[in-house]
Amino acid sequence: MKKRIFSLVLAVVMVFSLVGVLAACTDDDPVPTPPPVDDNGDEPTPTPPPADDEDENGEEPVAPAQVFRPRVVGEAFEMPEMVTELPREETLIFGGLQWEQPQGWHPFHGQALNFAIDQVGHGSRTLVYETPFMYNVLTDELIPLLAYGPFEWSADMTYLTYRMNPNAVWSDGTQVTAHDAAFTWEAGFYTHGGNTLWLDFIEDVVALDDETVQVQAVMYGDVPVFARQVERFIYEVYVLQEAWLRDLLERNDFDADEIAADPGYDFVWSGPFTRFFGDETRNVLVRDDYHWSQHDSMWGTVPTPRYIVALILEGGNPAVTAALMVGDIDMSQHFISDVHLLWEEQGLPISTFMDQPPFNISANMPTAHFNMTIPMLRDHVELRRAIAWAVDYEAIIANAMTNQSPTFAQYPRSLFAPVPGEQALYNQAEVAHLQWTGGEVDRANDLLDETGLFPMGDDGWRTYNGERISIVASAPSGWTDWEASIEIIAAAGASIGIEITTLFPSEAEFYDFTAAAPPNPDSPGIFMFWTPSITRVGAWDRTRWLISSERLDEWPHNWNGANYSMFHNERANEIVRQIPLVTDDAELRALYTEAVYIYLYYVPSFSLMYRPAMFHTVNESVWTGFTEAGDGRNVPPLNGLSGYAVADLFNLRLVG
Amino acid sequence: MSEQNTTIDQLNDQPNEQPNDNEQPGEQKSFVKRTISHGFFKFFVRRLFWLVITLFAAVSLNFFLPRLMPGDPISTLIARLAAGTDAELIRRTIEHFYYQFGLYQPVYVQFFTYIGNVIQGDLGQSFSQFPRPVSDIILSSLPYTLALMIPAIFVGWILGNVLGAVAAYVRKGFDKIMLPISLFITGIPAFGMAIILLTVFAVNLSWFPAGGAYPVVMIPSWSWSFFMGLLQHYHLPFWSMVLLAIGGQAIGMRSMSIYELNADYVKYSRYMGIKDRKIVGYVFRNAMLPQVTGLALQIGTFLSGALFVEIVFSYPGLGTTLMSAVSQNDYPLLSGLTLFIIIMVLVMVFLLDIFYAIIDPRVKASLVE
Repeated sequence: MKKRIFSLVLAVVMVFSLVGVLAACTDDDPVPTPPPVDDNGDEPTPTPPPADDEDENGEEPVAPAQVFRPRVVGEAFEMPEMVTELPREETLIFGGLQWEQPQGWHPFHGQALNFAIDQVGHGSRTLVYETPFMYNVLTDELIPLLAYGPFEWSADMTYLTYRMNPNAVWSDGTQVTAHDAAFTWEAGFYTHGGNTLWLDFIEDVVALDDETVQVQAVMYGDVPVFARQVERFIYEVYVLQEAWLRDLLERNDFDADEIAADPGYDFVWSGPFTRFFGDETRNVLVRDDYHWSQHDSMWGTVPTPRYIVALILEGGNPAVTAALMVGDIDMSQHFISDVHLLWEEQGLPISTFMDQPPFNISANMPTAHFNMTIPMLRDHVELRRAIAWAVDYEAIIANAMTNQSPTFAQYPRSLFAPVPGEQALYNQAEVAHLQWTGGEVDRANDLLDETGLFPMGDDGWRTYNGERISIVASAPSGWTDWEASIEIIAAAGASIGIEITTLFPSEAEFYDFTAAAPPNPDSPGIFMFWTPSITRVGAWDRTRWLISSERLDEWPHNWNGANYSMFHNERANEIVRQIPLVTDDAELRALYTEAVYIYLYYVPSFSLMYRPAMFHTVNESVWTGFTEAGDGRNVPPLNGLSGYAVADLFNLRLVG
Repeated sequence: MSEQNTTIDQLNDQPNEQPNDNEQPGEQKSFVKRTISHGFFKFFVRRLFWLVITLFAAVSLNFFLPRLMPGDPISTLIARLAAGTDAELIRRTIEHFYYQFGLYQPVYVQFFTYIGNVIQGDLGQSFSQFPRPVSDIILSSLPYTLALMIPAIFVGWILGNVLGAVAAYVRKGFDKIMLPISLFITGIPAFGMAIILLTVFAVNLSWFPAGGAYPVVMIPSWSWSFFMGLLQHYHLPFWSMVLLAIGGQAIGMRSMSIYELNADYVKYSRYMGIKDRKIVGYVFRNAMLPQVTGLALQIGTFLSGALFVEIVFSYPGLGTTLMSAVSQNDYPLLSGLTLFIIIMVLVMVFLLDIFYAIIDPRVKASLVE
């Protein structure tokens, strides 16, 4: 009897627990109801696409091959019925892109679905909201998205204009117009995520008529303060619907805090996907089958997958790797050590952009900064050089990055990422004598010995002013490739008689002595940080980041402006100020070359590796047609999401 | 038996409460019962009092300890938002978060606000999933952990105790095999067991899914296929926990049973000609007592067991939530989760005390002393 009661209790506990799981799953995130058709509540009559759609002879263009047709003005999106199981052959699954359950659905929200809603310099994600242009990091080109045709600078470079594609339609069936673009700019002044980044470069954004947008540049004399920043604006910042934005602002009394907390479930969008389902394990987007992208003036089709799933795998990299290996994930954005073994040794249908190292395009340059508030490191460039020369970068690239980075022999060190556009910005021959490839222990020892300032003690460690040199090198705990890099720096120190000890604090603690507060003599002597990535202005951004001291006063919260080495050089500051104003290519190249010279000569910091903007690994068990190096499509390997990478979604096809 | 007699003798020795000679045996029993009830009530109130005191101390520590962690929680939050963002904007955002989370106030003000809110069931808003309430995050994760851990603890406890008891009773070959295997399994850390099962059964053999709570293409629904999907994803994390629990429980039960089997009362019972089956029943009942303590504490601290298994299998329970809260210095979420653990442990210990008072004659005796 007792056993029966016990078994019964156990069964009840398990059933109730599972019921709880089901309840938790279904209670979350109700699917938003489709917005009303129009403000009057009247059912509008669908109108044919505007005249742009017709060719010069007035003939209708050839109908696209797909079953659906592009939405026309007056037709609102209708949410498809909920399903219990997504057909795998219609579903593209992502991993390593979303780590928390999103709390909001508009770009001004503090915790939006960053997997789909993210405005970044290497290309914004345009699944839900769209930008006027898409950026291609491979070619440094801007490709029209909401815009129709290329942008044009005025002859006096005071403004640029572009036209909105008249076929672009909001999800509520209204047309996307230039007024939406102008009001998005205006709305930015009332939000936390607003316009402050752009105010140094952009005077105003105005609608000249329904189609034409004019972006006015801030001028310095007779040249724009930074023309390429204006160009960055039109591919990075979304265009949101004016009517919906007005509602968002008004219902939150134009209060930035309130706006940032408003989840915006009633959002109106122009992109090909919208919210379908979400819980703590995944977010599912569903395709708008009548999306305007089918228009011949755009892609001529809709994205191939009908559903997009972004898995939230709290287990981190190992969990994402396991899911990718078994085919639960089609596309993954996470670091996999020795990724090539997945296809070479295990024979899995997994691939990266390139099948040889470095496998993906590198955009970032994680860098070790010397803390130059420490007098010994500030006053002796020889000491900084010696440490930087002695580091075995090939070991870092081979061990920490498992060769997923080009070497410094392939792309000699400078201020630039290993992409053709940036590499062409400087004259390598002029600085070749300053570039080092690493592991140069003898040369480093000779340099230190020549100074006579750092004699070797009896215990095998060098001294300075009679005391043993001891430097702390730091990176956040758990950032394994960075930790491995710091260990290799410590080993390099030992090889030249300089004691370098490692410190791996929590991420939050690490920020306390880097971005959140200025480094001081008690902070670690060496610490790692990332650099700006490839963008329309990436080369300048990185140059400013590494050698300009103009923004050091931004501490106590310096996250994006200053060199963490606290390096001061007036000429470097001048160059950084001058570059945005220069339009002559030769002059620009000379300035950048000089900047590289200063950087390599003074060694305030030294890059340890090149690193992809996004790790792009795909499993082709279900889908194929992902971008590959040399396929002639020039689609960047950014997980089919960022900027022109979204072209991949229109190119996918089922395996077999 | 003898202990109960002793108890009655002790009661009879008490001068003021001794029943008079005219009382019948039934009345005497009723007196004993009343006395035990009174003692039990006093015991219950005393335990409850200490429960409240301990809870307050624990809640206080729960508030202050996360704040002693080095590092600014807002920094971690900002680091994720900051890339490519203007410094002025970041400064405004930081100020916004400090204001929003009340971090600009003195710590003692934050503490009393926290206590007031906790009493009202408000655990605050998460830093990392702002503005989501902490209670909402805990409630959405809790069912997964309960569904995983409660059955795993019970199944592991039952199987472990049965195996341990059989090994102690049978000895010989069974014990020689069971003991080293149990020792080996107990030596494997929780995350190691999870990784072994994941690699072998999910990645290499593809018998089970690699992670998550339900199939990647499913949307939760009240359907048989979804239930089966849940079950399919349940296996590996469940067996990871069960295997670990079996090892520990089996070793404990085996040792206790061997000790009891050699006790004097067993020998005496045998001399008295009591049937072996009856004796074994006594033996295992006595050997079980420490195991019950272990079970109660396991239920109380199930979250710590869940942590590694849930992380390895990306199971969206309280363990992964706890890990995420720690790595992001999400004070409110961390405090909410640890408060939950504290309450679970205290409640289980309290219930255990009460349960012991009921089932263990020795404790029962102490109540009337």
